[in-house]
Amino acid sequence: MPILDEKIKQEVTKILANMVKPITIKLFTQGMECGYCKETHELLNEIVATNDKLKLQVLDLEKDTEEVKKHNIEEIPAIVVMDEKDHGIKFYGIPAGYEFSSLLNALLMVSTGVAKLTDETKAFLDKLEKPVDLKVFVTPTCPYCPQAVILAHQMAYYSDKVTAEMVEVSEYAHLAVKYQVQGVPRTVVNEKWFQEGAAPEQILVEKIKEAL
Amino acid sequence: MDFNISFTAGAKPEELYDLIIIGGGPAGLTAGLYAARYKIKTLMIEKMPVSGGQLTATEWVENYPGFPEPILGQKLAKDMETQAKLFGLEVINEDVVKVELTGKIKKVHTPYAVWQAKTVLISTGSSPRKLNVPGEAEYKGNGVSYCATCDGPFYPDKIIGVVGGGNTAFEESLFLAKYASRIYLIHRSDNYRADEILKERVEQNPKIEYVPFYQVDKIDFANPDGKKIILSKTPNPGNVIPAQAGIRPVLSNPTHHPESVGLRPTTPSDEKMELTVDGIFIFIGNDPNTKLFEGQLDLENGYIVTDRSHKTNVEGVWAAGDVQSKALRQVATAVGDGACASYWINKYLEEWKE
Repeated sequence: MPILDEKIKQEVTKILANMVKPITIKLFTQGMECGYCKETHELLNEIVATNDKLKLQVLDLEKDTEEVKKHNIEEIPAIVVMDEKDHGIKFYGIPAGYEFSSLLNALLMVSTGVAKLTDETKAFLDKLEKPVDLKVFVTPTCPYCPQAVILAHQMAYYSDKVTAEMVEVSEYAHLAVKYQVQGVPRTVVNEKWFQEGAAPEQILVEKIKEAL
Repeated sequence: MDFNISFTAGAKPEELYDLIIIGGGPAGLTAGLYAARYKIKTLMIEKMPVSGGQLTATEWVENYPGFPEPILGQKLAKDMETQAKLFGLEVINEDVVKVELTGKIKKVHTPYAVWQAKTVLISTGSSPRKLNVPGEAEYKGNGVSYCATCDGPFYPDKIIGVVGGGNTAFEESLFLAKYASRIYLIHRSDNYRADEILKERVEQNPKIEYVPFYQVDKIDFANPDGKKIILSKTPNPGNVIPAQAGIRPVLSNPTHHPESVGLRPTTPSDEKMELTVDGIFIFIGNDPNTKLFEGQLDLENGYIVTDRSHKTNVEGVWAAGDVQSKALRQVATAVGDGACASYWINKYLEEWKE
């Protein structure tokens, strides 16, 4: 049974018609697919079928060790959205519910090459010397979460020093414990600094400064 | 599984719009739908990637007419947005940081651009009110929450304190009861403003227990294994409005309930109590999102004052929905406000001269 209904599929087709450059979506899963791996796989199949510029590459966490290492994959299902280059844009867990917008946004952003950030933020990111990792914890029913995910992904796309992952926390209970997630969205900067809520650009920039 | 899409493109800052709508909740979306049908050149500025405002964080909507089966808040929001866009409404996702409303041409600043229009409709809605007690800000996102649909899943078989006595507190308690093992519904009195139907459901839910006549003094979540909230008896019980007929607290003294394992009086008179919980959800009403307009528009308790055509005291500026000073704040009233405002804006634009 298809995972996206006809109406949503039409809307996806319309949105992705604005794509410019071809995009590769890498899905990391495993031979015997976990529940959400299977659904994520099916979802991506259906999205890729809507536009010729999209290519899906399915990889195995156990077998494709080099790819796993190259993209620094820690959990499955994992999605990497990239063009010829990995910009550090990842999704751990299925981008369903409100997070579906975050996935489409990532595809369009990388394809059109436009990351909507202020000049101040860009200037700050240009001067980064150390790597910055942003983990954005979400639940699919959280309407405030895509804002935090999209901001993190924009920073990752703009700067080679930044990597950003959406983490659908209900699929990874151990990560919820590790990062003490009890509310979403929660952005974890370099493993240690936390930003609660969908913070505006400048606030996240301040948090990153603190972490560096 | 749901897949919610919200997408925008195409707006240009160099254009002069007929109308800029600030805020994309039910009021703004309805105004946008009407404006688009009037063929007014309209731009909606919504800060979140998904339109719908508070509706997006509501699980079920049961009192919006036309949907005899409850409709998901996120679906209703999405459908409103789709409908408005179908008629040509342009939406951008930017955060408004400054407005200049007094001139003939209104200017709306975001971090990325200055947008200009002949008229502005403010439908920025309201945000959850804070308790303003020690620990609240500190543990926000770490046990203190204002969004049940967002954070409910973190509380399977856990004990939750819910603060409030209105519709939101009751609805969200019922939602959270799907996850939690026990919910303490803490309220200053035993006079609950929630609709009767919600009271009945709460009273029939074995997981939810009323804790009336108490207020939260402090949230102490410093020890992750011993999270607690400190409650005290509401002062001046004489000021508390008597309970409405037929409504009675399940427990007049919750501490003596055998199942109330989490409640512990700290003084013999029950003046103060400690409540052991895993998290606290706060639904004590909303505050209007009007900070941007202070000093530019007439406000009443923070809400924007309008006349019957939803016009503010500044020419060319209207307000609709929760942000307006009015009695009832519901999806049903917001859409009416939005439609009406658009009607008067359209009339005004017919006469508009530079």
